[in-house]
Amino acid sequence: MKKNKRIIGKLSMLLAVIFFYLPIVYVVVFSFNSSKSLTVLKGFSLQWYEKMFRDTQMMQSLSTTIVVAIIATVVSTIAGTLAAVGLSKSKKIVRRLVSQINDFPIMNPEIVTAIGLMLLFITFGIERGLLTMILAHIAFCTPYVILSVMPKIRSLDPNLADAAMDLGATPSQALLKVIVPQISPGIFSGALIAFTMSFDDFIISYFVTGRGVKNLSIMVYTMSKRVNPSINAVSTLVVGIITVVLIVINVLPVISEKLRKRKVKAVEDTEK
Amino acid sequence: MEEKTLIQFKNIVMSFEDQLVLKNINLDIKENEFVTLLGPSGCGKTTLLRILGGFLEPTEGEVLFDGADISNLPPYKRELNTVFQKYALFPHMNVHDNIAFGLKIKKMSKDVIEQKVMKMLKLIGLDGYENKNVTLLSGGQQQRVAIARALVNEPKVLLLDEPLGALDLKLRKEMQYELKRIQQEVGITFIFVTHDQEEALTMSDKIVIMKGGEIQQIGSPQEIYNTPVNRFVADFVGESNIIPGRMLDDYLVRFDDQNFDCLDYGFAKNEAVDVVIRPEDLVIVPTEEGVLTGTVDSVLFKGMHYETVVETVPGTSVTVHMRIIKNNEVISADGKEKISANDFFVDIEDVAALDDKEVVARADAQAWNPETDEYISLNSIDYSVKEEEGEYPVVFSTSNGTMIQKMIYVVNQPIVKNAKANEAVMAFNFFKTADELMESQALDTDLKLWANAQGWKLSDEEQTVDMYADYDFDPENVKEGQSYRVTFSTTGRELKVRTVNYVEEGTEVGLKLGKNDIHVMKRM
Amino acid sequence: MKRFSQLAFPYIVWSILLLLLPMIIVFFYSITTGGNGIISFEFTLKNYIKFFTDPDFVIVLWRSVKIAVKTTIICILLAYPVAYFIAGNNDRVRNMLVFAITIPTWINMLVRTYAWIGILTEGGIVSKFLKMLGFAHTELLYTESAVLIGMVYNFLPFMILQIVSSLCKMDRSLLDASSDLGANGVQTFLRVTFPLSLPGVVSGISLVFLPAVSSFFIPKLLGGGQYFLIGNVIENQFITVGEWNFGSAISVIMAILMMLSMYCVRRLESKNSQESD
Repeated sequence: MKKNKRIIGKLSMLLAVIFFYLPIVYVVVFSFNSSKSLTVLKGFSLQWYEKMFRDTQMMQSLSTTIVVAIIATVVSTIAGTLAAVGLSKSKKIVRRLVSQINDFPIMNPEIVTAIGLMLLFITFGIERGLLTMILAHIAFCTPYVILSVMPKIRSLDPNLADAAMDLGATPSQALLKVIVPQISPGIFSGALIAFTMSFDDFIISYFVTGRGVKNLSIMVYTMSKRVNPSINAVSTLVVGIITVVLIVINVLPVISEKLRKRKVKAVEDTEK
Repeated sequence: MEEKTLIQFKNIVMSFEDQLVLKNINLDIKENEFVTLLGPSGCGKTTLLRILGGFLEPTEGEVLFDGADISNLPPYKRELNTVFQKYALFPHMNVHDNIAFGLKIKKMSKDVIEQKVMKMLKLIGLDGYENKNVTLLSGGQQQRVAIARALVNEPKVLLLDEPLGALDLKLRKEMQYELKRIQQEVGITFIFVTHDQEEALTMSDKIVIMKGGEIQQIGSPQEIYNTPVNRFVADFVGESNIIPGRMLDDYLVRFDDQNFDCLDYGFAKNEAVDVVIRPEDLVIVPTEEGVLTGTVDSVLFKGMHYETVVETVPGTSVTVHMRIIKNNEVISADGKEKISANDFFVDIEDVAALDDKEVVARADAQAWNPETDEYISLNSIDYSVKEEEGEYPVVFSTSNGTMIQKMIYVVNQPIVKNAKANEAVMAFNFFKTADELMESQALDTDLKLWANAQGWKLSDEEQTVDMYADYDFDPENVKEGQSYRVTFSTTGRELKVRTVNYVEEGTEVGLKLGKNDIHVMKRM
Repeated sequence: MKRFSQLAFPYIVWSILLLLLPMIIVFFYSITTGGNGIISFEFTLKNYIKFFTDPDFVIVLWRSVKIAVKTTIICILLAYPVAYFIAGNNDRVRNMLVFAITIPTWINMLVRTYAWIGILTEGGIVSKFLKMLGFAHTELLYTESAVLIGMVYNFLPFMILQIVSSLCKMDRSLLDASSDLGANGVQTFLRVTFPLSLPGVVSGISLVFLPAVSSFFIPKLLGGGQYFLIGNVIENQFITVGEWNFGSAISVIMAILMMLSMYCVRRLESKNSQESD
């Protein structure tokens, strides 16, 4: 009985993994196809990569995506962390109000947020382009940063900052040397969410952009009407970038831990 | 009437990964008994209970229930029920449905369920609560629901895993009586796990004391309290004075250089033993009437009585001289740096272990900027000492060249040994300025540090013995050039005595005790 | 301490400007007439009336809700066994499996959805597989099924993760207690585990149903031009037609519809947990 259940579980897990990874594997495999067909593998070739690198529009969209994602991540992480720290010490009404507003982009359909921002920029006569895209990304990423930092702050000893200041730290020292290190896992995961949200975003970017500024998603959307295997190539590139980011994120803490240990050991050795 | 044995644990061994949690447990539990498994956390008592409940399978051994081996039976096929540590009430069901859970599983008819649940609610005193949300009940109420939920299934045995741990003191006391009443009313076996000795003494018919995965003692509360088998049990259950002694003969024990009659026998001649005397068995009498004499050391008010501590054997002590010297700072030529240090004594045996850090600490050397009060680091410490009695100069200096010279006195310091108390103590004379004395925030600790006072067991030099400092000068008011005596002592034999009357600290008193107040235990 | 609260101030202003104000503007557009300026406007309910009186729009809305409901149900059915399996492992394995489910969601949604075009098209892997099984009709691309597959593919991970987290949050001693009271594995699952995992299912529903109703690139990519959902209507109003006021009204209708449906689901769930069997 129990064994049976595990078998069903294992099987469904396996099918789920195949389901989730099939399109990714598919894109990578067909990016090296020598024919234009999306169904038949003819042979190995790098022609679609060549085409991709020669396609200025594609390269432009890739760089737009990365630039926007980095700026949005940095700004929204800092803003979100400061806001979360501030809110945790604010009055209850303020906190509730802001968290209600924060919930808009999370609870609303993305398309509503998107047209809202679009109409906002139009109403205030801000010309749509790279700047509006960056502003919009910061706007929808920050709530997620706050959401991931807030629980960490709530689990802190509320007297921590007071204790630091009691011992002579200035408020900014208390913030940087005591609070931030304690909540850094929350900040880190917030930054990660912000980056992937921005890197992946289509709907909001699609509505707030203008003057031909396109990120990757918009480009795939507009190009998908015709068969174009270069999309497979650029998709593979995206898979590669994300994989590298994931590896760096998962390996970095291990390495820094090792380095730290080595440093401690070196210090101990010199003391001997 | 002899009750029949219901549960038997036979040679139970339990290990998690490579950690041995239970080591060969053998235990019989009779019908209708209130048995308490008592021990500190990590002693294996909860593990034993979970094995009985069926949530853990023992690594070795078997559990017999009514004579049949149930070791491999899943929990839902066992005729016993559990009250869990944090109650484990189903949050998605109300009080009624929680209690009815087991009955519904057994597919009983609705009216039977209704009837039984109502009866249970009455038993636990929560009638009228059936539709309440369990998460909104108080701790005590949740506790009662958990008990009802288990009892409604009419188990032969109820297991209770630290059920009172989450309640406050007053509620806990109430629930102790309540549990005992319920047990007597339903007339089944209760197996109760706790780390609270008072709880165990109040409620149990039988107490099983565990430590480190082993049973230390099984017995009635009276047996456990009056005749603990070893130091651990005596210490864990109730207050006690435990004194190392020697069994001279049957009914004759010797401790603190006196012979005492006792009721214990069966030890080897001259066997080293522990003697336990409960504080309430000692009576304070005038010195001439006492079997033991001593000085009242401290008195603590405990509400119903006083806990008076009487020192019957003085500790070991050593007296040293503290010489007050005049200010010992050196100011640099430009007046921007000050440096200070003291002469100090060091034992000839410790010379080899002396290093820069140690010299700075012992000389209390420091340099600072008199204007900002900021510390300046010492960049050179110059000294050479030989393992020979004598005076050796030491020079401390900063990177700017401000320096001070002091002396290290290498001496052969005698050790004060006290074979009877199995202790030795040692301390050194020292030099201090009046300012340093005044600035000290914890003078006793500083005095010990300055005099490098240390105490240890003669039998084991690694084992240190605490000391306290005694002096008769006023630290705010000492004179330069003068010497003051400081005595460092260990505490001697101190006995806790429960008294009704207040006795002034420092009074010489006698202590009376009879042979039935002395209980001799095997050394662990 | 007070000084820290000032740190929130810039963000409060920012969030009012970029999160609250846009919503107000959308609402404002929805109740005004055209001439997309801010100076000349006229209040009207014309936009809302237009939507509800045109059967075409109502049909599209109904179709969107239907496919979102289907997606949600399929996601629950597929996610539960997977989540139950994941939650049943020890911490290390569980984290690994959760990670395995999460990774694909980090890769661009458009890219992953685009990949399905090749997989589902005539002659692709899926059609070959179906032919092998003896199906005559194997063209899936540009059908409702393709849209459904795309939606399930995109939103299933959220459902799995929500159920896993609610299963993991459950106190293990509740399962012990159920077993102690005589319930076997199946009974424990039906009476304790499943009811207690419902909050996870509910938050999973909100993470699947909401984006499914409003989705517009999945139907466009996998449903072709002929499969139109409410999201596509909104896109058209803003991008091609330029009827911002009407588009805003549709958005408001959709947002209200969603709030109502989520409220109903939440009510149902809390009612369910109160009077379970």
